[in-house]
Amino acid sequence: MRKPRYGLGAGAVAASIILAACQGGGAGNSTSGSSSTPSTSAGPSNSLKIGLVTDVGTLDDKNFNQFSWEGAKKGAADIGAPAPKSVVTTASADYAKNIKSFVDQKFDIIVTVGFALGNDTTKAAKANPGIKFIGVDQGVCVTEQGEPDPSFGCKGDGAKLLPNYQGLVFKEAQPGYLAGIVAGSISKSGHIAAIGGTKVVPAVANYMAGYANGAAKVNPNVKVELQYVSDQPDAKAFNDPAGGKAFAEQLLAKNKDVDVLFQVAGKTGNGVLQAACNANIHAIGVDVDQHLSTPESAKCIVTSAEKKLTKAVSDAIKRVSEKTDKGGTVPLDITTDSIGLAPFYDFQNLITPEIQTRIDDAMKGLKDGSVDPCKPMKCS
Amino acid sequence: MTLKRAVRLLSIPVLAIFLALVVGAVLMILSSPLINGLDPGLPLSAYAALVSGAFGSPDALVQTVVSATPLILAGLAVGIGFKAGLFNIGGQGQFLVGAVAAAAVGAAVSTAGGVVAIPLALLAGVVAGAAYGFIPGFLKAYTGAHEVVTTIMLNYVAIQMVGYLITGPLRAQGATFARSPSVGNAALPVLFGSNGHLGVLFAVIAVPIAWWLLFRTTIGFEVRTVGASPDAARYAGMRPRLVMMLTLAVGGLLAGLAGAGEILGISGYMPAGYSTNVGFDGITVALLGRANPIGILLSGLLLGAMRAGSNLMQIQAGVPVQVIDVLQGVILFFLAAELLVRRIFRIRAARVQVDELQTVTRSYSSQTPK
Amino acid sequence: MEPPDPPTITPASTPALEMRGITKRYPGVLANDAIDLEVRPGEIHALLGENGAGKSTLMNILYGLAVPDDGQILLDGTPVEMRSPAEAIAYGISMVHQHFMLVPVLSVADNILLGDEPVAGLFFLDRRRAHARLRELAGGFGWDLDLDAPVGSLSVGWQQRVEILKALYRNASILVLDEPTAVLTPQETQEIFAVLRRLTGEGYSVIFISHKLYEVLEIADRITVIRRGRVVGQRVPAETDEDDLAELMVGREVQLTVDRGESHPGAPALVVESLRAADDRGHEVVHEVSFEVRAGEIFGIAGVAGNGQDELVEALAGLRAPTAGRVRLEGRDVTGHSARDLHQRNVAYVPADRHRFGLVLSYPLTDNLVLTDYYHAPFARGIVRDDGAITRHAATAIERFDVRTPSTTAIAATLSGGNQQKVVVARELDRELRLLILDQPTRGLDVGSIEFIHRQAIAKRDAGTAILLVSAELDEILELSDRIGVMYRGRLVAIVDGPSASREEIGLLMATGGREVTPTGSASPVA
Repeated sequence: MRKPRYGLGAGAVAASIILAACQGGGAGNSTSGSSSTPSTSAGPSNSLKIGLVTDVGTLDDKNFNQFSWEGAKKGAADIGAPAPKSVVTTASADYAKNIKSFVDQKFDIIVTVGFALGNDTTKAAKANPGIKFIGVDQGVCVTEQGEPDPSFGCKGDGAKLLPNYQGLVFKEAQPGYLAGIVAGSISKSGHIAAIGGTKVVPAVANYMAGYANGAAKVNPNVKVELQYVSDQPDAKAFNDPAGGKAFAEQLLAKNKDVDVLFQVAGKTGNGVLQAACNANIHAIGVDVDQHLSTPESAKCIVTSAEKKLTKAVSDAIKRVSEKTDKGGTVPLDITTDSIGLAPFYDFQNLITPEIQTRIDDAMKGLKDGSVDPCKPMKCS
Repeated sequence: MTLKRAVRLLSIPVLAIFLALVVGAVLMILSSPLINGLDPGLPLSAYAALVSGAFGSPDALVQTVVSATPLILAGLAVGIGFKAGLFNIGGQGQFLVGAVAAAAVGAAVSTAGGVVAIPLALLAGVVAGAAYGFIPGFLKAYTGAHEVVTTIMLNYVAIQMVGYLITGPLRAQGATFARSPSVGNAALPVLFGSNGHLGVLFAVIAVPIAWWLLFRTTIGFEVRTVGASPDAARYAGMRPRLVMMLTLAVGGLLAGLAGAGEILGISGYMPAGYSTNVGFDGITVALLGRANPIGILLSGLLLGAMRAGSNLMQIQAGVPVQVIDVLQGVILFFLAAELLVRRIFRIRAARVQVDELQTVTRSYSSQTPK
Repeated sequence: MEPPDPPTITPASTPALEMRGITKRYPGVLANDAIDLEVRPGEIHALLGENGAGKSTLMNILYGLAVPDDGQILLDGTPVEMRSPAEAIAYGISMVHQHFMLVPVLSVADNILLGDEPVAGLFFLDRRRAHARLRELAGGFGWDLDLDAPVGSLSVGWQQRVEILKALYRNASILVLDEPTAVLTPQETQEIFAVLRRLTGEGYSVIFISHKLYEVLEIADRITVIRRGRVVGQRVPAETDEDDLAELMVGREVQLTVDRGESHPGAPALVVESLRAADDRGHEVVHEVSFEVRAGEIFGIAGVAGNGQDELVEALAGLRAPTAGRVRLEGRDVTGHSARDLHQRNVAYVPADRHRFGLVLSYPLTDNLVLTDYYHAPFARGIVRDDGAITRHAATAIERFDVRTPSTTAIAATLSGGNQQKVVVARELDRELRLLILDQPTRGLDVGSIEFIHRQAIAKRDAGTAILLVSAELDEILELSDRIGVMYRGRLVAIVDGPSASREEIGLLMATGGREVTPTGSASPVA
């Protein structure tokens, strides 16, 4: 007596899905094949399959993950390989699992992003000598057996034991030092600040030390506030713009004459940049050219202390393709043009010839080794 | 106990999963223009990759089981709480505390023989988890502090505590970034495949034990009675306060075991900022499994398969891993909005009481036990 | 069809409502078997039947909550289909449930408007217009009702009037009242009867569901009796009596009053001395209560609900710690002992609220029948349950206590109230007892179940058990008690001899505590 008012709708949905599933059953295999066709149809001259495992976060984080990914894409394009694939890590517990899925799929080059993946990348490299690994921000530290060294003595020779594993390590102190030169020079109050994500990440600590040392070089009386958002490398440290903004606002409220602020805190730092803009002071970006990556804060970003991630990753891929790759830690510094300062854009007029000379001198000193960016404040 | 009853119990979870897959498919199609142009076939290739990544090879199967292990344990931790009418949201904290305890003790005994080191490290994780679960139980029983509030708070306490320990007293000497020392011989042996570690057996064993305890012992009867009707339990001479403390402690024990298993079986140490969703995914597992150990085993395997297969889905179909979170969220949504599912599929309300959902709803208004 | 508004008196030849051949099957049960029901305009039609006879199913069908497998519903001669309560309401049918569907924190007016909010413009509630209409409706009855008062602050009787007002506001022409007097005092019952008579005088029809025979005889114009899903008879009050109706309802001759025989009291089993107890908020609600119950006697405690009986019983049953005083069981001090301990000392307790205390509604009968004994042999060895023993015990108990259930594993919630109470009684009485505490043991039960439970209590008494009976039903107290104590504002104000006590005497003590009148005859104030 009652009409099936909902039954019809549900039935139709179910039917269409079963129908779709049936069609899919036949086309399933070809679909997965064809979906990769467009990328390969450009006529790849190279069949290397490249995969990238991100650190916790997203692929479009305007930071580490994104620019490493750009590097993988550029590297693949440069050598004529098919477009790379990515697996995004959502929890640090999954690093090993995510690397393994590329291993299981028989990829040729696996890029892992971030120092936190170092341990699992080392293990995978040891277990899969036929696969090339590129670890971004990973110093290779192994025992004489080529295992991850639990005592961190790094007795083993990475290049020999794990020739398939390039650990790309940037000398962050160098761009930090250059940023410090700029900050110390443009500060009118002689009071500058830097906000880091967390002290326990060596890269962050190195940037900060270089910054302090660079500023002290140009102004021996400079006061430098170095503060860290978090005690550990968590979301608060690197993935919390709102938290970073609040943290920076607090710092600026307590230190009213600070007029240059350097951020070393990933996405959290993007909030730091906003706070600097709101306070009408100068800001310095980190890792990438933040004038481009965070246009909302471009109006106060004087420059950025750059690690040229895209170039570093694509170069490493090219080395694999050209079979010139060597395992072990690959130090990346100013001598290979892997670090530097981003352009000044609208702030060019702020950089007097005198300041430019200081920068040039510092770069020269860093290149020839006469300037140690880890002095007097020590790097980690 | 009949087939009919089984069908009635299963219908809503199964339909919720089905609806979630439909919603996921729609999302994929709608978002496909952002990737490679509109592709109505994307859901099929994505789900095909998902299935193949979860079950397509012996390696994939092992990964599914390994991924499911902590989910099953955390699901049991939440599910047993549901049986006693408690909503334990503290699985995350209990997991972390168990993990850090196992990492610390594992590192301390890392040079002893595995026969000694493994049980000690596991015991540490289990005891720490149980103790951490006991705290909200005690607070609930003697101060009336609601377990939903206290367990959420204790999650944050755990995160900060673990952060302090790993960057402070437990920090490995010489490590460039903060992490605990390696657990050495306390690492769980790999039994099958490339990463099928001993911890998998814990989940396999925990499920029948939990089932037996709940349904075949007087203790389980007390737990279920306290959950179904605290007043009737008191009338029957049971001690609801004791039962609540015990239940939350056992939940903590299971979550702690999950944490210990992950550290000893997979990573071998605990890094600073160790992140996982296992504690919260456990809530989904428990709800989807209708708080029944067997159901939790099945739903844990399902979510484990989704986690394991999601990588191949990213690699082959280019569908972001977040789709899995969406699926999980939609499943939860439909489980909670049971009425909606009944409407869509015209299912009459079963007379079976769904105690875990009652707990979820009731836990926002419930009273202090006497 | 448009809802009739206002109801017009149609010729008696056309019934206001006719349900023809209504049949409804549930798995394993034929809930309604070709039921015919005819309600005339302006008539109070009583629907009489035991719990589980099919009254609720029939009314659910009328109200659009269930779909009949067969049969037809006609309103004023026109066949209609009820697909939902909303449609039933639109057809002018309104239901006043036994448990009111009111939101305590909302005002009277908002409760009535809830679900049928008058809208002005697109979004705004037009409270003013609605209030005017409500005042007019209430005024029609001479009710001085504060529309802005929260419903929770009203007495039960007034809440019921709010429900009726709600029905009228929605232009109901047929009112279904499900056991409307179950929660009312005799005074309030008379008041609501007056309201119903007035409504029928204005042409409304009323379906009155009850199992209180004397009420049905008093208020109904016609009575339809159903039993096991079938109509077994129709009566006019003038041509029937309680015995006839009870027999129709139960299907056999029923003794409405149990022959309690003579009691042979022995030594005092329970001695309560100057007991004090507080309620959940810490206010003392039991003041210096002293009495004794002897082996082989039934001591009844009468009193209007809420005079401290609940707390007294909980204190005696080990569920509430007394703040002062002593409780002795066969000479031993058991003050403040736990429920488990008392249970082990052969004390049984049938709680007033079987849904909250006596049963776990989501459990099968097997588990409910061992709710207080699950932990020891033969039902458990160590911590391991013996399901075989539990099932065998259930089968025996179900048979011994005549619990009507499809199986031993049926879920308690699916049983009728009478059968649920039988489960509690079976569990608590099926062993040797020193003391039996019966708290409202027959509340909400039908005559058959009441008779059964009263017989069980008498049998226990005759076996030498001391019985403490607490009841708000004066009839029950008078019928069973050998001695009667009356509770008033937390004090036991009088103890009188049972067989010689008069209804009026006890009623007066219940209402006034005996303070404004001189105790008569056998009444001796103890407080």
